[in-house]
Amino acid sequence: MPISGIPIFSMLRTKMQWHQERQRLLAENVSNSDTPNFRPRDLAPLKIDGPTPGSVAAGIAGAPSASAPVVLARTDPAHLAGSQTSARFHTGRRGVFEIRPAGNAVMLEDEMLKVAANQMDYQAATSLYGRSLGLIKTAIRR
Amino acid sequence: MDFLKSITIAASGLRAQAGRMRVISENIANVDSTAPRAGADPYRRKIPSFRTEMDRTLGAQTVALGRIRTDRSDFRTKYEPGHPSADGNGYVKYPNVNSLVEMMDMKEAQRSYESNLNVISATRRMIQRTLEILRA
Repeated sequence: MPISGIPIFSMLRTKMQWHQERQRLLAENVSNSDTPNFRPRDLAPLKIDGPTPGSVAAGIAGAPSASAPVVLARTDPAHLAGSQTSARFHTGRRGVFEIRPAGNAVMLEDEMLKVAANQMDYQAATSLYGRSLGLIKTAIRR
Repeated sequence: MDFLKSITIAASGLRAQAGRMRVISENIANVDSTAPRAGADPYRRKIPSFRTEMDRTLGAQTVALGRIRTDRSDFRTKYEPGHPSADGNGYVKYPNVNSLVEMMDMKEAQRSYESNLNVISATRRMIQRTLEILRA
């Protein structure tokens, strides 16, 4: 059994991927904070019945599961694989609070707050991951 | 790895803001540059612009410094008949640079630069946390 097949690990992995993807979007928002007509984006929060539940089957290689991401079909082995991460999570355009005259709606304070929150949640997930690994280590110790 | 993408995106922001800083410093440095000959135009204020670029290898929207355009507004004029570049009526054209506007732009560029740096350090700490799983 691979370690990603254990429910707690697959759940934490999904959560960590979500935070990774969110960090990418937040970096996009911050770097485009002075681009005209740019609207900030954010990820839809993870849900239990969402497209990627931390199911046991999801981690087993080769097993078809409902949580597989939607990707472009490759008809030739020479084709490049499209980016897979963006299809996995829904990136929603959120309602914007204020739009500057140039058409830009990024609020740096807001984005900084989100970066910090994202980092903290990610830290919580990695700590849990480490603790769970410790539990397994305790179990296999003679 | 996805975190490296975040860092690259933030780095594109740093590069764009640094380019903007360069244009602003050009404007401030040339605030009193008059024309070389009588009757010619002095330094014209430059305006940086930003545009979103789709980086296909990253699959993300990065930012880049767009075309640098010139400010079409009128020049400041001063009555200085003895000035070498004064026109027939004794007026000297000075650049259309307002140092207060440039200072505000500089503060804004600084703030955006710091925000991008903040994203990079936050991402770095997240990578560090991931690597710490190995040590657990």
